[in-house]
Amino acid sequence: MKTLSDMVVGIGLRQPHYREVFEHRPALGFLEVHSENFFLDGGASMHALERARAAYPISLHGVGLSLGSADDALAQRHLAKLKRLVDRIEPALVSEHLSWSGLGGQHFNDLLPLPHTHEVLALLVQRVDRVQNLLKRRILVENVSAYVQYRERDMSETALLDELARRSGCGILLDVNNLYVNAVNFGFDPIACLDELTPAAIGEMHLAGHTEVDSCLIDTHGARVSDAVWALYEAACRRLGPKPTLIEWDTDLPALEVLLGEAATAGAVAARTAEVCCG
Amino acid sequence: MAELLALQRRFAGALLDADAAGQPETWLCGDAQLIEQRLAIYRGNVLAATTKALGAAYQVIRQVVGATFFDGLAHAYQRQVPSASGDLAEHGAGFADFVAEFPHTASLPYLPDLARLEWAVHVAYGASDAPAWQPNALAQLAPARQSDIRFDWAAGTAVVDAGYPVAHVWRIHQAGFDGEFKVDWSVRESALVSRDGLLVVVSTLLAGEGCFVASSLAGATMGASAERALAADPGFDLGQLLGRLVASHAICGFSIDKEGTP
Repeated sequence: MKTLSDMVVGIGLRQPHYREVFEHRPALGFLEVHSENFFLDGGASMHALERARAAYPISLHGVGLSLGSADDALAQRHLAKLKRLVDRIEPALVSEHLSWSGLGGQHFNDLLPLPHTHEVLALLVQRVDRVQNLLKRRILVENVSAYVQYRERDMSETALLDELARRSGCGILLDVNNLYVNAVNFGFDPIACLDELTPAAIGEMHLAGHTEVDSCLIDTHGARVSDAVWALYEAACRRLGPKPTLIEWDTDLPALEVLLGEAATAGAVAARTAEVCCG
Repeated sequence: MAELLALQRRFAGALLDADAAGQPETWLCGDAQLIEQRLAIYRGNVLAATTKALGAAYQVIRQVVGATFFDGLAHAYQRQVPSASGDLAEHGAGFADFVAEFPHTASLPYLPDLARLEWAVHVAYGASDAPAWQPNALAQLAPARQSDIRFDWAAGTAVVDAGYPVAHVWRIHQAGFDGEFKVDWSVRESALVSRDGLLVVVSTLLAGEGCFVASSLAGATMGASAERALAADPGFDLGQLLGRLVASHAICGFSIDKEGTP
């Protein structure tokens, strides 16, 4: 299984762009999809993904596994579907989130935040072990944007992720936009969080746009990357090294050339930092 | 894990019912008003995700009733049959039964049948690809043995027996339809949902034809299925139907028991 070189940039493979991507084959390091959209036995969607796979490395980004649910009611079925997809597609990257989504058989289909406690860390190590043993590969776990903070807290999210990576052997998917959104909403220094991360543990970075609503930044994934997030991305590349980076745009999809433009900018930022990075 | 479970139960309760949030300022940072604003974001996200998924599965119904009314239906459905999976393609299996009981859709009596049809289309869309086969093999069978064959059907093939012409309603709402946008509500027809390569096809079946396909899908031999079809409709034309089913790749093979096997 091919691994991605650190300097590559990718975009999400979205249905409105299929034709253009297949016809023009833009120079991209990889394409990313939501795993749950491809829990199918066959048909047009799977065909498109397999066609993409023939031309590009694929990153499977899951949103529904719910690594942090206190009960496990829905995990087995979900994991079986994910395994089937991973075996079929042989992706370059597989990722999920530091979140929970369901309880008692109900799934909320959103990324709900977890308290950053020792209890949660221990649970996540178990859950990540189970996933990695089943899939027979390393997964990446992504930091999430949160709109509430728990009173109970033992460490920062980045410290928890770094320790999770250390104990389970998983990698980290650093979402720079999520880190920025949280830093603004909760008033902390995102640079200090970068310093809590072990460079070798970072397997991928995400870049996305956000929106401000009632003095709260919302991680909408529906806009260009903001200047502040580009600056944080550059800081992340300097401290952690260039990493495979995804331009994440899920709603109000623009023309493909806009995504490619954002991807080119990411590539330029990463290249600029490459010479001065930690050896 | 007990503490996490308790916390998540509280959070889940707050998502499901704004009034059940209790005192979230005891376990979340900030004052009650701020927390309520933020919890509302999550409630909105949950509804948006399930509503979007339902709209993707029921595109024709969404067009027929309009986006605003559909969103209301989706919200009511999510309350009654909450999403139980991270795979949103599973959300909506019970929508036909829901609209059949929902008071505000009583004036659209064809809606449950249309919902059943749309769900069958949704299932067929993601069904396994059919294997390639040689239809000549069918013609090469000795005529005496033909009635004993059992057909292999493309995954996702389904008969939707409806009291209203919902196959027609479905077809006139497809992008690219340029015929007359009109429905003859007096017509009662069965619909066949099947995959032809990557495309989902909805076609109309006459009464006997629906009977044949349903019987064959359930595993009966061609002979037994044809008998049932003729009993339902003496005008049933097996050859004509088989021609269409083979040409459209709904039938993708056949098997036959060894001679002498009952």
